[in-house]
Amino acid sequence: MKKEILVIASDNIGLGFKQIDYPDIEYLQFPIIINEQEFRESETYTARWLIEKYTKENIVARTTSIVKGDLIEIVEKNKDKYDLIVHVVMSSIMSAACFAIAEDVKKTYENIIPIINIDTRQVIAGVGVILLRIIDFIKENKDPDEIISLSKEIVDTTCSYLVIPDLKYLYKGGRIGKAKALMGSALRIIPLVGLLGDDDSGLITPVGKGRTFKQVNSLLISIIKDKLKEYSIEKAKIINIVSMDDNPEAVADLKEKLENSVPCEKIITGEPHLVGSVYLGPKSYNLSISYK
Amino acid sequence: MAIVLNETSEVKNVLENMYKFLWRHKEYINRLNVFPVPDGDTGLNMTLTIQGALAKLPDYSDGSISPGEFFKVFANEMLLNSRGCSGVILSLYGQGVSQILVNNDFSKASVYKALERGYKNAWDGTENPQEGTILTLMCELKEKYGELMEKEEDPGLIIVKCIPHLREVLKKTPEMLPELKQAGVVDAGGAGFIIILEGIEREISYKQPNSNVVPVSILLNTTKTIRKLIQRSSTNIKYSQLGALFTHVGTERVHNVKLRNIINDFQLLSVNILNRSKKESSKKAILKDLKEVEASWNPTIKYRYCTEFVLQSSEKISKEKMKQLIGDYGDSLIIINSNGTFKVHIHTNKPDSVFSDVSRYGELAFTKVDDMKKQHRNFISHDTIEYVKERSIFCIVSGEGFKRILEDLGADDIFCYGRKKPSVEQLVKAINQLKTKNIIAAPDDKDILMSLKYAASLSKSNVHIVESQNVISLISMLLGASNEMNINNMSFTNKLNDIRYCGISRAIRKTAAEDGLMVKKGDFFTMYEGKITHSGKVLTELLFKSIESLALHDKLVTLYTGLPAKRDQNLLPELEEEFSDLEFEEYYGGQYQFHYYITFE
Repeated sequence: MKKEILVIASDNIGLGFKQIDYPDIEYLQFPIIINEQEFRESETYTARWLIEKYTKENIVARTTSIVKGDLIEIVEKNKDKYDLIVHVVMSSIMSAACFAIAEDVKKTYENIIPIINIDTRQVIAGVGVILLRIIDFIKENKDPDEIISLSKEIVDTTCSYLVIPDLKYLYKGGRIGKAKALMGSALRIIPLVGLLGDDDSGLITPVGKGRTFKQVNSLLISIIKDKLKEYSIEKAKIINIVSMDDNPEAVADLKEKLENSVPCEKIITGEPHLVGSVYLGPKSYNLSISYK
Repeated sequence: MAIVLNETSEVKNVLENMYKFLWRHKEYINRLNVFPVPDGDTGLNMTLTIQGALAKLPDYSDGSISPGEFFKVFANEMLLNSRGCSGVILSLYGQGVSQILVNNDFSKASVYKALERGYKNAWDGTENPQEGTILTLMCELKEKYGELMEKEEDPGLIIVKCIPHLREVLKKTPEMLPELKQAGVVDAGGAGFIIILEGIEREISYKQPNSNVVPVSILLNTTKTIRKLIQRSSTNIKYSQLGALFTHVGTERVHNVKLRNIINDFQLLSVNILNRSKKESSKKAILKDLKEVEASWNPTIKYRYCTEFVLQSSEKISKEKMKQLIGDYGDSLIIINSNGTFKVHIHTNKPDSVFSDVSRYGELAFTKVDDMKKQHRNFISHDTIEYVKERSIFCIVSGEGFKRILEDLGADDIFCYGRKKPSVEQLVKAINQLKTKNIIAAPDDKDILMSLKYAASLSKSNVHIVESQNVISLISMLLGASNEMNINNMSFTNKLNDIRYCGISRAIRKTAAEDGLMVKKGDFFTMYEGKITHSGKVLTELLFKSIESLALHDKLVTLYTGLPAKRDQNLLPELEEEFSDLEFEEYYGGQYQFHYYITFE
């Protein structure tokens, strides 16, 4: 008999909620803190709002983990309606607390409803592409064990590349990882950093650098092409590009280059969320790709 | 005393301390090294193999994986980071051990199986394995462990109790391998293996091994001096100053067995207790021994380059196929294949051909070529360099401003030569001061290339020269050196010409450009792609004219100000007004000849 499955995701997926074609889904909101005040995404408090604030004011924003009570509320509300819950969680390396909360709730409800927590080892658009892949598996009526093993495979072969002109937001948020090597250059550079599924460290890592967005985009394309070659695949599965909408020329250049030279089954232009903009800052954009 | 390996962090701690212990004793191991060729870096290779693996280990302090799984990750990283013959064999051993311990069973029986598997994996993975090497020590550890496990329960303690036996076996390695006997040393890889175990033992007992070994240069000088003394047969040996010294020197601290025997024989000869015929035969025997020792430290190196690579293969090729592909290029071939990733070690005279042949089957993620002749020269010299780094990107520049820029872009070391181009001697000194085994050297001026090549041949490191022509090409190259992969496979050195640029300077004499354009003495001129394209009397006018004609479809124009233009006005506001669709940036380069370098990106 077909299992009824609820998917739980958060608002750090780099996708508009309408872009997800699955009715049984609930979203958690990440709180963000600015000057000791908590904000959650709303019509007022958007990614654009924060980027503008970053540009005009010298503020420091940070995120906190998902709220356990929010997660319990969702599970409580749905536990009798579904046979299984699949919770697609952001990288446990980037936020150990989020994954710990998810695991804790899973344990609390272990005799009530089974919960599968998928550690995407990704952030923003990377979580989004993995979420879309998992939804496809659910639609194909894969059983829970298959969902777990297939998810592991796509987590290992999903990469996020982030073009972040100013790494200070990532640095202040304590998420800089190995990309710190790209900071403090006398010559202004545009860093290209990555969260690579096949990198066991799970940390943000330097991938490249350029002096102009066009250079960085070309580099990014060549990295993707090399990866396709390494995986011996003709076509990638999904690409999701998310920008803060303040650097249209660079993003248009990237899309053009992608469409002309990277074979992919589906290229999506995602939407930014408030939480995703916290560590990226102005003029940044994120491309995530599920290769296999 | 029990070693408890039930926490991942404890395993990591042991590995880290073992590495530190090995690092401190690497020079001791280097000085023993005579096999397979005396490249003198067995200690460094073993240390770097473990160092590389430790550096790549993710943080598992949250206990997300078991100690056994952790060791497996460590062993895999060791494989990918292995250096030299000894490093590769050690990583093969680690891999075998981890295949058993991955189940997280650290019982004495399981550890025995692990040691057995480790030895088998190392032996099977080595082409032409030989007794008297590290492999013998690995085998003996397994044997002795098996014997002692009848009486002891704690596997850690059993391993510690095996160490004295292994030391005895090590002493016997010269009897197993003629090369060792001839040189009067024990096997370096085997000694390294014991030091690794001692590092673990030290975790328990804090015991320090003795690491005093006579440097090879002193050994060779001693043999030369003894020969001279013997050949001066007309005078009584013991009455010369050196003869008297050798007659009375204590040999208990001379660890080289062959040298110790020679000195003892020499002492016997010099005290005149032998009759004439015995004296002559004793002299002959000593001279023969001296010849043997010297020959063993001055070998013929058939294959000059110790070559290693990691190939991520997209095609399914077998180990056998890989062997067929490159086996004829040299010897000391070790091939390890793990899930399509090949780690290969070979001694060859044609490293480029090896790389070119294998790159048809996948992507080279790492390449390394060590010149063993050069390493050997360093090894036997009086001023042996103790390498402290594996690799350095070394730039040679004129301007102080560029020094800072290149440093920030990832150059590891920079030699700033100022106004006068550096001499070969200065370059050799600068290269040797880096104490780095592999140096990627790139100058900011094509006129330095010749002296750099000569300096490289005289230096004690492996120097790969990048034929860069100017400082902008160094910026371009370093922008391409953005991650470990493109540094490891050297692909960043192909990025020299990615940035278009021109330079503006002042003519010191009347010059005619190729197209007939005349530049008067004292006029400014623009050089673009090796040709004079513009000239003028006023610097700012020429600069504007040059930008107008050379900024084609570019977005960013960068001015690197040289020393001659250091005090000139800030031109950016005017430029931004004149060329509103371009972005401008200005940096101080500090170059001596050109007022400005201008890049177009």
